[in-house]
Amino acid sequence: MPIWMHGSWMMAETRLGRVEQLGKRTLGLIAEVGYLAALLTESLYWIFAGVFQRQPVRVSSVFAEMMRTGVSAIPIVFLLSFSIGVMLAIQGIHTLRTFGAESQVVIGIALSISREFGPLITGIVVAGRTGSALAARIGTMVVSEEIDALRVMGIQPVRYLVSPVLLAMLVMLPALTIMADFAGLLGGAVYSAMDLGISYAAYADRVISVLKTGDIWQGLIKSAVFATVITLIGVANGFSVTGGAEGVGRATTRSVVLAISGIVIADMVFTWFLNR
Amino acid sequence: MSSVSDRMLTSDPVVEVENLVAHYGSHKVLDGVNLTVNAGEIHIIMGGSGSGKSTLLRHLLGLRRVTSGRIRLLGHELDGVHRSELQELRKQIGVSFQGGALLSSMTVGENVTLPLREHTRLDESTMAIMARMKLEVVNLGGFEHFMPAQLSGGMIKRAALARAIVMDPKLLFFDEPSAGLDPVVSAELDELILRLREAMHMSIVVVTHELESAFRIADRMTVLDCGKILISDTADKVRNSANSRVQDLLNRRPRVEELDADAYLARLTGE
Amino acid sequence: MSFGHRVERGYAVVALRGDVDLARSPDARALILQCLEQKSDLLVDLSEVDYIDSSGVASLVEGYQMAKKEGLKFGLIGVSEAALSVLKLARLDQVFPIHADLDARLLDDG
Repeated sequence: MPIWMHGSWMMAETRLGRVEQLGKRTLGLIAEVGYLAALLTESLYWIFAGVFQRQPVRVSSVFAEMMRTGVSAIPIVFLLSFSIGVMLAIQGIHTLRTFGAESQVVIGIALSISREFGPLITGIVVAGRTGSALAARIGTMVVSEEIDALRVMGIQPVRYLVSPVLLAMLVMLPALTIMADFAGLLGGAVYSAMDLGISYAAYADRVISVLKTGDIWQGLIKSAVFATVITLIGVANGFSVTGGAEGVGRATTRSVVLAISGIVIADMVFTWFLNR
Repeated sequence: MSSVSDRMLTSDPVVEVENLVAHYGSHKVLDGVNLTVNAGEIHIIMGGSGSGKSTLLRHLLGLRRVTSGRIRLLGHELDGVHRSELQELRKQIGVSFQGGALLSSMTVGENVTLPLREHTRLDESTMAIMARMKLEVVNLGGFEHFMPAQLSGGMIKRAALARAIVMDPKLLFFDEPSAGLDPVVSAELDELILRLREAMHMSIVVVTHELESAFRIADRMTVLDCGKILISDTADKVRNSANSRVQDLLNRRPRVEELDADAYLARLTGE
Repeated sequence: MSFGHRVERGYAVVALRGDVDLARSPDARALILQCLEQKSDLLVDLSEVDYIDSSGVASLVEGYQMAKKEGLKFGLIGVSEAALSVLKLARLDQVFPIHADLDARLLDDG
């Protein structure tokens, strides 16, 4: 076969390959979403029905997970939310100054923190910490046959490993989000006080008069969705590890990227529907 | 063959495999495997790497779905069994994995106690004593507070064995007991397997490629090659088998295939 | 409770029988500890035991330890071949005072 012909043949193959790959990826995506749904159903099943089957989800491991995913994330979530609050204040005041309305900055800060940035920052931090840790932990257990060992001991891996994490995340992410809201508002208050001379008391009054419970709820519901997304993606990537330590590394990276993408997209969808 | 408990004499076979076929993708790894393990016997499943013995074990443990064929453990059909029934079945079966598969986040003691904690409502002190007793049996007394990462390969295997027998299973699966161990440690493990069968009347299935160890403990042996069973018989009959392939394996002679020149050329050129 | 006990010549004798397994060993344990709490010397009669698993043996171990702490006498009698092999596996045959029956034990006590 002449070389030029070989080349064009190769191109044809790659073109065909791309269509085929697109198809394969779509199928893969559907399969993956299906898998995540099954995983969610099973984790919830064990949380609610486990007690009746004498296979309860252990309270002690839920608390351990709460410490691991929640409590130890407090400093970093606080720091980042505070920074976002300061930045929102800077940008808000800068923008509103054009209209001479810089004192209205508090409205902007209060609403965007509670509805958007609080849950989002918390979600991204936890996705980075817990999502990756979950994928790594479970992936390692797959590689070392620990998951198989649990299964043959008659211990359902999802009940034993996933349900406690899901429960812990569903409690801790909203809790962290509330803290992030406070930290963000505090950041805004500090900068507003410096730049505009608004007293903390006046700032607090303004925030309270602006915020409705619906705003807080919107943030909390989002954070519960994020908790589910992070847990499922981390766990699913962990369970699907093949090929030793390298595979664990791949799964970890993949779970962080997917979890953050999942959060941002879920956030957009949510915001779209909640605010129309 | 040493004495078999009177408790077990009346029992049916503990493992029955009929016509098991398994695939990895389109590659057939097990082809019509038939296997019977009798109560109270030590049954060795032997074969080189790629013989399909690991796949067979995974099937016996219910970790893979069969393409076709039937597997019965302790009289229960594995396929189509209800989840809670499978659960009950698994409490009567112990498994010691090749790499130990101890949960790395727990101490040795916690690992050994785990099945008791999950499946029984025994008193905390009873569970602790049972776990320590089993660690004593495998000569790991005093190691309960160690983490798996602090143990040597042989110790991990013994700890895994302690976990596998903590519920006093009727049936014990042991994957490659001697792989990666020095001969003395490996001989000790074999001795332990014999003692377990003697004292607890377990039926024990050992998957291995180590000939020496296999003949030391086997009542009966099944030799797998390329996904097919070459022979399944008493250790003596296997040793004296007239089958040339069995003799090749026993004498560690490499497989010599007739070379088909055309097919070989085709493979090399990828046509 | 599925096991009985009697008092005979200064000893409380707990007679285990049938299968002493995961399901029934908690009963055995409760009975043994209960007798020891009443500060009586204790013998456990295994002659009618068909099968004893390690949870049963663990209960015996716990009882012996408690008896030692309380300064009470403890022992096993009528240990069947099957039970003995389970004890031997964990080398507990060298730990428990084992006698054929109460008479043998009393003879040994002197």
